[in-house]
Amino acid sequence: MSKKITFSKALREGLHEEMVRDENVFIIGEDMAVMGNVFGVTTGFLDEFGPNRVIDTPISEEGFCGMAVGAAMRGLRPVVELMYNDFITVAADPIFNQAAKTRYMTGGQATVPMVLRCPMGAGRRNAGHHSQSLEALFCHFPGLKVIAPSCAEDAKGLIKSAIRDDDPVVSLENKLLYAKKEEIPEEEYLIPLGKAKVKREGKDLTLITWSRQVNFAMEAAENLAAEGIDVEVLDLRSLVPLDWEAIAASVSKTHNVLIVSEEVKRGSYAGELSAQIAEELFDELDAPVERLCGLNIVSPFSPVLEDENFPHPETIAKAVKHVLNK
Amino acid sequence: MQYEARFLRQIHKDLLETRLLEEKLCDLYAQGRVPGHVHSGVGQEATYVGVLSTRQPGDYFKLTHRPISMPWMLGTDLDMFFGELLAKKTGNSGGRGGSLHIGELRTGVLGMSGTLGCDTGVAVGAALTIDYEQRPNVSYMFMGDGTSSRGPVYEAMNLAAAWKLPVLFICENNGFAISTPASSTIPVPNALADRAAGYGMPSEVADGTDVLDVYRAAKKMSDYVRAGNGPAVLECKDYRWRGHFEGDQCAYRDAEVTKEWVENHDCVKNLEAMLLKEGVVTEAELAAMRAGFDEQMETAIAHAEAAPAMTAEEIFDGLYA
Repeated sequence: MSKKITFSKALREGLHEEMVRDENVFIIGEDMAVMGNVFGVTTGFLDEFGPNRVIDTPISEEGFCGMAVGAAMRGLRPVVELMYNDFITVAADPIFNQAAKTRYMTGGQATVPMVLRCPMGAGRRNAGHHSQSLEALFCHFPGLKVIAPSCAEDAKGLIKSAIRDDDPVVSLENKLLYAKKEEIPEEEYLIPLGKAKVKREGKDLTLITWSRQVNFAMEAAENLAAEGIDVEVLDLRSLVPLDWEAIAASVSKTHNVLIVSEEVKRGSYAGELSAQIAEELFDELDAPVERLCGLNIVSPFSPVLEDENFPHPETIAKAVKHVLNK
Repeated sequence: MQYEARFLRQIHKDLLETRLLEEKLCDLYAQGRVPGHVHSGVGQEATYVGVLSTRQPGDYFKLTHRPISMPWMLGTDLDMFFGELLAKKTGNSGGRGGSLHIGELRTGVLGMSGTLGCDTGVAVGAALTIDYEQRPNVSYMFMGDGTSSRGPVYEAMNLAAAWKLPVLFICENNGFAISTPASSTIPVPNALADRAAGYGMPSEVADGTDVLDVYRAAKKMSDYVRAGNGPAVLECKDYRWRGHFEGDQCAYRDAEVTKEWVENHDCVKNLEAMLLKEGVVTEAELAAMRAGFDEQMETAIAHAEAAPAMTAEEIFDGLYA
């Protein structure tokens, strides 16, 4: 049995089920309680769970992210929302130095079972402080797990696994996916962290991507199929831990790779993936691994410029042909 | 009367034009003519206009996202203002920064930050320049009550106080950080003024819906700062009439309270009633001002709509690294 709901409602269901299941799970962040989140993800939670478990904070990201680390170290399971992933710059130390490193640096005495939800991405004309895709930052620090779901089903299954995980997990949620309606299973389910999904099988090229770009990649792949180019679309779903087996299996089959992301290309996680594939799978490659990312630019306000700043189905199709020399 | 008619007419003009600009932005947004979001400052004009009426040439200003029309009062012309809002080449950044980031440095505006409070140090740094050059100027740092909960604000206030730098920290306290009332997240009644003592700064609290009360308090505090005594805090109490962003239905607050503020604490209406009573302006003059400025705005909007947007090929123009 399945049902059709939006990405944000699927997330909401995942959060709701985990809060019902485990009374140590609580939500903290700006506008999460009375307003029910600026993206509507926690509508109604305050009435159902009360103010101890759905907490509105002041604009004090460094403060409440640090509090989440402390609460998690002592037995609770906070789910923090940062409103925009861009704001990680103002809460960097609690996440990158405290959350990520505590388990290792205490010799395993303390774990930090928290989730940091980060809406991200461009396309809403919000300019350079509210439109970035900062995967590379989150994936840089050993000790953080990072998920980036592309569809409603994965959003729910992954957030549930993230909450149950004993280590800090960052959930990168593209804002333009929130309103997208998709089928999800009726019954309860989990999707494990660290497992990629082949969204479309193909034999000519492995297109590795995640989050919103999966949709664009699928569109490009369907269009290319009409031209006789058979693209395999691999949705990573989790960026850390990385499903290397899935990457190796696909690349060993197709021998050509394109990585697509909305990040600034320079220093991107796409670049890290490219390097890993070049190092580990060189003998499998028929052509250099290529990346199609955002440009090396501050995310612009102007719609004309902003739309130029992330991959689209047309540019993806062009990039696929470039790798294949077609 | 305490103030000369000429002064009153000027402060009224600034107040009214700010109001009309803020209302126009709401209209443009509702008509789908501006990209992105609009954070309307309708009803909150008095704090900014009252404070900025104390400015002197050479001063610096760190503004906020509400009201976003303040650059006009400080000297950015309307063509450039609407050019930026409509993401056109004629805007101050050619549409790169947009509505949250309007600032023309020539006028002393140092811009705004989308990450709230992170630019407090920038305002203090500009004051370091003033101090270095031994000028009788002030760096005006505006923030909301929400931003007063950010850590960087306090590092910057501490530095400004320790080094006696000429900064006036202004908190426009409208009672809400998006949906969250100040009363549930700030432990003192005056978000910034009550914290000033911790840094040895003097503070004043003004009625942010009364432009003359704001001016009185701002004059006192800015004179203190301008005279080289170090930083000070001014807090102005008002109310956010509209949602955090246009489209925000404000389901999280009591509409009756909002109605009371709108009806009884309208800074433009109240000032105009006083000016009419005192014979400083006439009804006919007020009507002519509104009509005249509306025409100016419509002309500027028409220019902005006709102006070219940047093209995709120009995306890297202005990037240096």
